[in-house]
Amino acid sequence: MREPISILAVGVSCPGGSDPALLEAAWSSRQVAQITNPAITREVATIDLAAEPFNRWRMRPRLRRASPLSHHLIEAVAQILESRPDIDPSRVGLVGAFFIGCLVYSVRFYKGLTTDGRRFASPILFPETVVNTPLSHVVSELKIGGPVYSQTGDTSCWSTALRTAALWLANGDVEHVIVVGGEEFDPVFLDVMQSARWFASQPETGVAEGAGAILLGKKSPDALAQIHRIADGFSFRNRAQASVAAETLVGEFDPSLPFADTARNWTRPAVAKALSGRNLSNACGESNFEAFAATCAWNTIRAVRSADSRLVVPFWGLSQQMGAIEISR
Amino acid sequence: MAGSFYSVQSSQEVVVTGWGCVSPLGGNTESTWSRLIAGEGARAPISCIPVEGCRVVEGAEAVMPKIDWLPKKSVSRLSRAARLALPAAREAMVDAGILGSDGRSVFSRLEMSLSTTANGMELGEAFLQGVWAGNTRQQSSRVSRYPAQQQVADLQQSLGFSGPAMVVSNACASGANAIGHAADLVRGGFANIVLAGGFEALCELVYCGFDCLQALAPDDCRPFDANRRGLMLGEGAAFLVIESAVHAAARGAKIKGRIIGYGHTTDTHHITQPDPTGGPLEICIRRALDQAGLQHSAIGHINAHGTGTPFNDSAEAAAFARVFTENSPPRLVSTKAAIGHTLGAAGTLEAVFSLLALQTRRIPPQIKTTTPIPEVAGWLAQPGEVLEKPVVLSVNLGFGGSNAALLLAAV
Repeated sequence: MREPISILAVGVSCPGGSDPALLEAAWSSRQVAQITNPAITREVATIDLAAEPFNRWRMRPRLRRASPLSHHLIEAVAQILESRPDIDPSRVGLVGAFFIGCLVYSVRFYKGLTTDGRRFASPILFPETVVNTPLSHVVSELKIGGPVYSQTGDTSCWSTALRTAALWLANGDVEHVIVVGGEEFDPVFLDVMQSARWFASQPETGVAEGAGAILLGKKSPDALAQIHRIADGFSFRNRAQASVAAETLVGEFDPSLPFADTARNWTRPAVAKALSGRNLSNACGESNFEAFAATCAWNTIRAVRSADSRLVVPFWGLSQQMGAIEISR
Repeated sequence: MAGSFYSVQSSQEVVVTGWGCVSPLGGNTESTWSRLIAGEGARAPISCIPVEGCRVVEGAEAVMPKIDWLPKKSVSRLSRAARLALPAAREAMVDAGILGSDGRSVFSRLEMSLSTTANGMELGEAFLQGVWAGNTRQQSSRVSRYPAQQQVADLQQSLGFSGPAMVVSNACASGANAIGHAADLVRGGFANIVLAGGFEALCELVYCGFDCLQALAPDDCRPFDANRRGLMLGEGAAFLVIESAVHAAARGAKIKGRIIGYGHTTDTHHITQPDPTGGPLEICIRRALDQAGLQHSAIGHINAHGTGTPFNDSAEAAAFARVFTENSPPRLVSTKAAIGHTLGAAGTLEAVFSLLALQTRRIPPQIKTTTPIPEVAGWLAQPGEVLEKPVVLSVNLGFGGSNAALLLAAV
């Protein structure tokens, strides 16, 4: 990045509601739905799409059959556009970051073809399993006209998506880019977490769903915050590599900068070692729920809303890469 | 003729220094290209995934290369997608001279711009089958090797580098997006060199998805044919080493082609059908032309998306007919009639074919199409045709309305 980029607005769709201030409340109020799988039980925080404000999208023709993820994303992105009527959506780019993607309909579609027979697979469900379909719905409904990428990867794909937005701004492709991270919950994801032993290091952590979005533009005096640096692509696959990746990532930033305390998963020991001697910030708060790419977005929004004047928000990843951003208010 | 062929100048300085591919026609670029130019097709009964009960049971399976540079145990853990991606990426790195004699990248940090739509889906399917059957054996390896970031890690670990990796999943336009993004990274000064690529393996979920949409051709895939009946699914991978001309020159790399334009738009007409007017695709192509600073008359050949479905080909042809209005339109081909629709890999494979056309000045013939639709009648490439102009347009469209256009030029 040659110069800082501005965070101009934020949008949130979370189990607590749609106001960014509710991000904190969502964690403390624990609107929990108990999901029981034959093998495991976990606390899960989901969004009631029939309740306000989320239900405003349900009767839109294109969204009636859309996945929950589509609804989470459109609510978060719509908040941004509604808060900035001065910005023309047709000149806005959109980047989505997803760790899980369209899980609910993918599982339902595959279940259908394996139980009813391949010839009876659902032609209505299949298009909704495609990774970029949710953002396609968002673009269509909100009349967004700039470039659109759906990006997948480790939970830290949020920082990769931010880098794509920074690139589009630097190249002059668009004047504004919305970056949105989102996930949806399906019970089978508990089996995923259990099988991959991701729960082992997080025995108290539940799973959440939702989305967070930020509007980015070139440096502006009316910004909520500035992003000064995006450090991305510190690869790992095991504990030893995670330690090296964490130390390398931390070493990229000025030693005087505090790091938001966001480590929650099996990388925590490696992260703790890398951050020894560094100041830690509670800007992103405590949370007992993990929503992956959405959590990365929420952590960014919480850092923007925090009292810290300048800090690093790291995205430690789950299985492949780490990234971080340096922001100031 | 050679003088005018190489006369186009561009202000862009994004070059290609190596490529590699795995396709249903061959396990590397040379074998794929020789069979493509010869007009061969790869349609055959599908055997790598279960398709019994589907309306259509044929497609184009890739020729799987041996991965003999990795331990057998490591290879056995790879998803089918990774088994396609690794040989293609390795071939590209060797071609560009960035793979050391030890089999590892000469750059410890090498950015990647990748595309796929289904990741290691067969492992995800096996995981779900295991969950529903109450089987807990091998579930960890299945689920942990399914996501896209695991194919990223497979590439990084086996070829010896780390660094940023962007995986774009814009349906069937993803491959062109990955290459365009790599070019953007170089053009914007975000990277000096990028390994761009796409990979896609056949899997039950996606195959049955296209089958249930009745989008699969019951017989041959006939792009731009009045009697076309659908697409043929395929699989494969292609990778390109993309860098700045300055970086390539500094390391003494041979420049094999240039990326001079990239456009992408989103069509909001329908989730699975393009705007029948082709309007959004037309804008996409014009944006690529604008970036390149070229007139459409500079283009000698189009590698079309050309899936062979009624909706795609008519919309695409409508866009082409509006952009290319002169009497000698570009020579048109859809290589999907030969190798099938490889979804997230399609844009990367077709970009490699476009660069090979520029390098050899030979255009792959359009096979299977016997009754061209009026909009492109007379455009379709015939066997033995020579590329007369130094720029090729490669176009892709995808579900969700993704459109992408790349302009590739000779050195």
